[in-house]
Amino acid sequence: MADTVKVCTGNFGKRAQSIHTYRKLGGYSTVSSKLFDLSQFEVIDAVMRSGLRGRGGAGFPTGMKWSFVPRNTGKPVYIVVNADEGEPGTFKDHFLMKEDPHRLIEGLIIAAWALGARSAYIYVRGEFLPCIETLNKAISEAYGEKLLGENIGGTRFSFDIFVHRGAGAYICGEETALINSLEGSKGQPRLKPPFPAVSGAWASPTCVNNVETIMALPWIFENSPEAYAALGTPKAGGTKVFCVSGDVKKPGVYEARLGIPMMEMLESSEFAGGIDGDLKGVIPGGSSTPVLLPEEAAKATLDYEGLAALKTMFGSGAITPFNTTRDVVQILNTLGNFYSHESCGQCTPCREGVGYAKRVLNAIVNGNGRDGDLELLLSLADQYNGTTICPLAPALGMPVTAFITKYRRDFEEYIAKNPQRSSPRLNSNIRPGAFW
Amino acid sequence: MSAEKNLHIIANNRLRFTEGPKPYAGDLPAPAEQVGHLHESQKQPSWNELAPLLENEQVKLRVADLLSRYPDPQGALLEVLWIAQEVIGWVPREAIRWAASVCSCSPAHALGVATFYTMYKHAPTGRFLLQFCRNMCCSIRGASDIIRYAENALGIKTNGTTPDGLFTLIQVECLGACGNGPVMLVNDDFATDVESGELTLKKGAALTPDRVDRIIAWCRDRASQMKEEPVRDALGGKLSGHLGHPGAPGASARAQVLDYAPPPPVLGVSAQASADGVTLTWKAAPEITALAVERLEDSSWKQIGTLSPKDKEFKDASGKAGMDYRMTASSGDRAAKPSAAVKATEKAG
Amino acid sequence: MSNYYNMPALPTEKSPKVPITVDDREVMVPGDTNLLEALQTVGIETPHICYHPYLPVSGNCRQCMVEVDNPRGMGLAIACYTPVRPGMKVATPVTSPRVKNARKAVSEFMLVNHPLDCPICDKAGECSLQENYITSGQNESRLSGAAGKQYHGTPENEFKDTKGQVRGGKRLNIGPRVILDEERCVQCDRCVRFMRHVAHDEQLQLVSRGDHTTIATFPGEKLDHPYDLCVTDVCPVGALTGKHFRFEQRVWMLSRTPSISMDDSLGANIWIDHNNGFVWRLMPRCNPEVNRSWLSNDSRLAYLQFRENRLLNTDKGISESASAVSKMLSSSAGKIAAVLGGSCTLEDAFAVKELQNAFPNRVEVFVGSLDTAGTPDGIAKSGDPVANRKGFALLGFEISAEELCKRAGEFETLVTVHADLWGANASLAAALSAIPNRIALSAFENATTQASTVRLGVNHWSEVSGTMVNCNGFLQKLNAAPVSPSENLMPAFRVLGILSGKPVSSASEAFLKLREQVPVFAEFTHESVRSAGVKLNGVSV
Repeated sequence: MADTVKVCTGNFGKRAQSIHTYRKLGGYSTVSSKLFDLSQFEVIDAVMRSGLRGRGGAGFPTGMKWSFVPRNTGKPVYIVVNADEGEPGTFKDHFLMKEDPHRLIEGLIIAAWALGARSAYIYVRGEFLPCIETLNKAISEAYGEKLLGENIGGTRFSFDIFVHRGAGAYICGEETALINSLEGSKGQPRLKPPFPAVSGAWASPTCVNNVETIMALPWIFENSPEAYAALGTPKAGGTKVFCVSGDVKKPGVYEARLGIPMMEMLESSEFAGGIDGDLKGVIPGGSSTPVLLPEEAAKATLDYEGLAALKTMFGSGAITPFNTTRDVVQILNTLGNFYSHESCGQCTPCREGVGYAKRVLNAIVNGNGRDGDLELLLSLADQYNGTTICPLAPALGMPVTAFITKYRRDFEEYIAKNPQRSSPRLNSNIRPGAFW
Repeated sequence: MSAEKNLHIIANNRLRFTEGPKPYAGDLPAPAEQVGHLHESQKQPSWNELAPLLENEQVKLRVADLLSRYPDPQGALLEVLWIAQEVIGWVPREAIRWAASVCSCSPAHALGVATFYTMYKHAPTGRFLLQFCRNMCCSIRGASDIIRYAENALGIKTNGTTPDGLFTLIQVECLGACGNGPVMLVNDDFATDVESGELTLKKGAALTPDRVDRIIAWCRDRASQMKEEPVRDALGGKLSGHLGHPGAPGASARAQVLDYAPPPPVLGVSAQASADGVTLTWKAAPEITALAVERLEDSSWKQIGTLSPKDKEFKDASGKAGMDYRMTASSGDRAAKPSAAVKATEKAG
Repeated sequence: MSNYYNMPALPTEKSPKVPITVDDREVMVPGDTNLLEALQTVGIETPHICYHPYLPVSGNCRQCMVEVDNPRGMGLAIACYTPVRPGMKVATPVTSPRVKNARKAVSEFMLVNHPLDCPICDKAGECSLQENYITSGQNESRLSGAAGKQYHGTPENEFKDTKGQVRGGKRLNIGPRVILDEERCVQCDRCVRFMRHVAHDEQLQLVSRGDHTTIATFPGEKLDHPYDLCVTDVCPVGALTGKHFRFEQRVWMLSRTPSISMDDSLGANIWIDHNNGFVWRLMPRCNPEVNRSWLSNDSRLAYLQFRENRLLNTDKGISESASAVSKMLSSSAGKIAAVLGGSCTLEDAFAVKELQNAFPNRVEVFVGSLDTAGTPDGIAKSGDPVANRKGFALLGFEISAEELCKRAGEFETLVTVHADLWGANASLAAALSAIPNRIALSAFENATTQASTVRLGVNHWSEVSGTMVNCNGFLQKLNAAPVSPSENLMPAFRVLGILSGKPVSSASEAFLKLREQVPVFAEFTHESVRSAGVKLNGVSV
């Protein structure tokens, strides 16, 4: 089914980075009486009715999140845009910000109106310097046209946007870690409660939203919440920007309505244009989501419930299929390296346990695997569950469990290559450090 | 002094000491410099060498601008460290100490931050820092082969620098351009190809050995044309026109007024008619400062009373069952949309 | 490690009791605290590493897992950060295999990179990790060669320290008083939190991330703070150790005597750890109302001087010497000035009062020892070196020793009790040399004993029982540690008792006499004063 509605990616390739082009394309039309005549309550209500859910991965209803932000506490309200896109497989925010920065600004003005925010911070990961340059230029243009600053559009509403450059930490995608990073500390997740909506950045009410979530707002207010809701499934409104990478003919960013079949996204010429080779598996929502076998992928529909039914997750909408020539053990090994590299070092199970799993995986890949290593890995993955502050360790646990149960033979082949697989590892290797 | 003099071993394996504790000698061998063994071998420039780079007008202006954006100076720490890295090329210890003093936090805190994030460099690198992604999507598409190819092409290993100081090759985790995997960053720019003298990241274009060659050639070409890499603004350019964060040093912004938006419409209006008129009740949001009651008369709305937010009900003595009412809330000089019209009804029972 | 830590709410005697269900058993616990503390009040110990009652909750060790009911059923939660809710259901490992497994998992992970060098580790015997392993660890290692930090696989993944070892740095001299053994660190960040939130001087920080995290000061700077030795207390493992106690004693050989540090008027509660007649260390003793868990370096390291320059009584027994002095006092009619030094107990002060009664109208009492007072530091020191100043005031002794220096000419005899007047301020004290008879009761050889005509060695405060009243009006008890260097020494109050001809045999006896004369102590006996002290009613602070 050809779905031509482009909520977030409508301006792709149209040089919308300049404010004039963006305006010509119909931009900033909501920064007018369309928005200024609405009460804060009505804006939040409209977002609730649109069925918009957070696009960062967790899929929490945005309107409900906003309604948790307390009013008149005497403290400022902050909006923080989470553009610390680091989940392997996900790259939509990168291109959304690069192609259409003004839509993000417009969406932020709507969100700020609803929440009463005076300052917003766009937390962009450090690697995206070109995006930051685009954003800074766009924000400066918006200041020039009095779309930002004091008394926007002749109202008494004032609003500023700052870009905050991260410096390389995947964990800052977790909202409380992001807030810590914004405050100039290490990006380590905080204990909850209090939730950021009540006490976030600088102990003030803070709303952390994904780039794509904010960028859907202008369309919702330009058209109607009901029109947006109608684009999606009954439980989640709208379209979703999918990131297709891996073994497909046309990898890239594609926007489609929620609930389209996964194979349509992978095969349709409008989207990824077909699998490159024979499909071996699909990672459906970013690296931390359990992998799907081809027969499962054939059944999958791309929405929160459709993927949950297959015991995996919608995540950030990053779809990574791989073909039969790829080595799943290597794939899992890269994930082990990644998660142990990115563990913030706070909780014991994640700090030590993920590194432990990584070293076992490395051993398997290096031909040093032993019988029982797979059971060890599975039990380690199980031990992460529920024992950490944030879901980084379980985010490795899930793919470990899924990969080992679904591709067990590949792992066993690796272990079988080791002639000493049944003997315990050499004692000389267990010798504690040289200081003894 | 013999050990026997000091202690006797008696039954039950208890040690008996005939001399008590001695004041400890405060001179153990290792100096505190050995702590924080990050790039231990890296020679650290002194503050006197760094001061001209960090204590100049340009940097001061940038830092003042950054400090005005955050309610707490520590918020600017990451950005100030970026500036240090921009002007020095990496973050030596004295630059971390400087950033800490600028952001009013302790040097140890700044050290923790500077080492937590992987993009701060604790040692100088070659002129072109080639960062190859080795994560899931890129490795599915053959990142390890590309990395090995680049290593051979440059004659260095990962984490190595070419003898001419031009290239440093490192492997990094996901760069957020998986659709172009395998992908790399040349300094701060994504690159999978070179077209008309520019690094490009075209949709769907991934690194291939040819393209790696082209990118390396582009770098060498640039090196032969330009003596050194022009300074790239590590924070992506200056933001003009902002007023800062209310209350931050150097900021002129004022806090948000509370009543910029119209109040929400009055909800749950109900009108009950009885012998002595119509009684209206409603639910109003706390920010409302005044309420107006209107009655439909001859198909036009006519205001019949104004209320303060403290009032709990309104009595229209001349009202009768069947009349239409609506209420309009206002907050300051902004009025909400009128509520839905309700018809006064007789009290049931 | 957020900026906005929450300090744990601790239960008090006034906490409302609420019912909760623990392992299908209903118990009443304090309602205004966290689950870990609440379970402790009903005798259920929850293993923990990073939680400390006087540090903000960081919740990173994950050792104190329990199951708590939530809207979706029973879920794992950390006890230290779960507030008590009336009617809540809690499952501990007794009934929940899930909790048992979670604790076991955390214990296993905690030891992945922790060396098993307990036999040479100073913390062994009082190490939280050891204790937790016994209660909730597993007894079979799954750690194999390729899965420790010492893994010799791909070189770029190895973590090397300064010496090229594959673990952390060993014996790092991070400050004048503290040594760091990185490989033992379990990254609980208690020391970081202590320095940041209690000492308010963030000198320590965890650098790097993941399992490469290490504790460090800023390069070139040292951990140097008046309270830096507290980090060795809060360190749950042997990573941070004090140089003063390294390799001195195994902790299980030490006996502990609860006492009070008599060098400051806050009266920090301490443990005197002694073995074979020596004090080997002083440790803070937790008292929520006084010093919480903290002790300043000065107070902690004071023990190193407890045996230095002691004034020991030669040849004759101390009682004979004292009787001789007593005869000398009664044979003359001149005025006597008694000076009570800061570390005198209430019993000592009362013995001076008895002296006053024994020689009516002849004895005038002065307090303090010419030291200058500092300001409170808000942690465990009030700054006033006269520890028992409040107690002296309750007995009616308030005139300062400076006053005595001005009026030295009026007196014939000077009796100093633990007061080193010449040592504290020789120029002021010089005036006192005009007093013909100068009797010093002192534990140490010092400038005052040098300047005195009669020297009587007495027990140091660590060797005596007694009571004191701290600056906040808490009556606190000292207990005698059996560390007296000589049998020919007596507590000062007993010597003073002989001087006044009213000998007492023990501190509790002295206190019984004291309470007859000072009504504010009337309801107490020596035995009824709890180790945490009692707040005296009606004592202005």
